[in-house]
Amino acid sequence: MEIRRERKRNLQIYMLLGLWLSYVHRLSALSVTVNDVECVSEYVLYEGDTVSGNFVVVDHDIFWGSDHPGIDFTVTSPGDNVVKQIKGTSGDKFEFKAPRSGMYKFCFHNPYSAPETVSFYIHVGHIPNEHDLAKDEHLNPINVKIAELREALESVTAEQKYLKARDARHRHTNESTRKRVLFYTLGEYMLLAVASGLQVVYIRRLFNKSVGYNRI
Amino acid sequence: MVTDLNPMNGGFFWCFFIVISLIFYQLPLAQAIWLNLPSSGTRCVSEEIQNNVVVLADYFVIDEHGSGTPTVSAKVTSPYGNTLHHEENVTHGQFAFTTTEFGNYVACFWVDSNSQVATLNLEWKVGIAAKDWDSVAKKEKIEGVEFELRRLEGVVEAIHENLVYMKRREAEMREVSEKTNARVAWFSIMSVGICISVSVMQLWHLKRYFRKKKLI
Repeated sequence: MEIRRERKRNLQIYMLLGLWLSYVHRLSALSVTVNDVECVSEYVLYEGDTVSGNFVVVDHDIFWGSDHPGIDFTVTSPGDNVVKQIKGTSGDKFEFKAPRSGMYKFCFHNPYSAPETVSFYIHVGHIPNEHDLAKDEHLNPINVKIAELREALESVTAEQKYLKARDARHRHTNESTRKRVLFYTLGEYMLLAVASGLQVVYIRRLFNKSVGYNRI
Repeated sequence: MVTDLNPMNGGFFWCFFIVISLIFYQLPLAQAIWLNLPSSGTRCVSEEIQNNVVVLADYFVIDEHGSGTPTVSAKVTSPYGNTLHHEENVTHGQFAFTTTEFGNYVACFWVDSNSQVATLNLEWKVGIAAKDWDSVAKKEKIEGVEFELRRLEGVVEAIHENLVYMKRREAEMREVSEKTNARVAWFSIMSVGICISVSVMQLWHLKRYFRKKKLI
C-alpha cells in the first residue's frame, strides 16, 4: 500500500512537473509591416536557452521592381550587445544560445522607403540539464528526454513555418507573374495595333498634303 | 505513524507544486512577444491563417516607468474587414475566435490619448498551440509522462497536417507556374504573328490607298 501511495505521489509530481516544463516553450508566428525599424522583444527565462527562429519578407505587388532588396535583422541582448546580425536578405533562419536571461530585442530595419511585410517566428526552448537534475531530485531523466523530444519537434514545426512563409512569398511572386504576363502582353498587342494604325493615318495625311501641293 | 506522515508530506509537496505552477501561469514572461507602442500611431501584427483554425490571444500592458499603467485599445479584423474584437481603454484583454476564411488576420493596438509610450505583451496562439490540454487531461484521465507524450502526439499530428497542406499548396502553385510558362511561350509566338500580320495589313492598306489615289 505504501508503494502504491509512493507511486501515486510520484505520478502527481510528474504531472505537475510536466505542466511546469510545458510552460517554457513558447511560439509566436506573426507578421509586421516594417516601415523603417520595427522591434519585437521576447523574454528569455534561463541563461543558455536556445533561441531559434526565422523570418521571411513577404513579397508584395510592385509595379516594376527587380528582386527584393532585402532587410536587415538584428538581435540585441539585455546588455545591449548585438547577438546576431543578418544584413540585406529576404528571409533567413537564425539560432543562438542566450548568453544571459532577460529581454532580447529582435529588430528589423528596412533601408528603403517602400514598406515591407515581414513574417517572423521566434522560439525559446529550454531543456533541463544535469545541473537542474542534480538540484531537483524529483526531476527524472525521462523528463529531460521528453524535453529534448519536444525541442526536436518544435524545430520541425519551425522549419515548416519557415517553408510556409517562403511558399507564401513564392505564391505572391507567381500570382504577380501571371498577372503581368497576361496584362502586359495584351497591352503590348493593343499598343502595337494602335501604333501601326497611327502610322497608316500619318502616312495618308502626309501623302494627301504633298500630293495636293504637287497637283497644285 | 509512517503512513500518517506520508500523506502529510505528499499533500504539502502537492500544494507547493501547485503554487509554483500557478505562479508560472500568472507570469507569462517566457512566452509571448513584447511590443513597444509609440505614443501616437498604431502597431499592427498579422498572420495569414487557414480556414477553420482556433486562434487564442491574450494581451496586457505593464507599468514600466512607474507613472501608472497606460491604457490601450485593440482591434482585430478578419481578412474581409469584419471586426472580431474591439476594446478601448483597457490594460488587459483577450480574444478567441475560429477562422471562417483563409486570409490575413490583423490585430492592431494603439495607446489612448495619454501620449505615453506603452509596453504591451501579446500572447498569440494558433491551431495546436491553442488547444486546451487541461480539458484533454481531465477527459482522458491521463497525467504525468503519458500526458506529455499525448501532447507530443498532438504536435506530430499538427506537423503531418501541415505537410499535407503544404503539398496541396505546392501542387496548386505548380499548376499556376506551368500555366504561366505555357502562356509566355504562346504569347511570344503570337506577338511575332501579330507583328507580321499588322505590318502586312499596313502594306496592303497603303498599297490600296495609293492605287486609289493614282500615285502608283
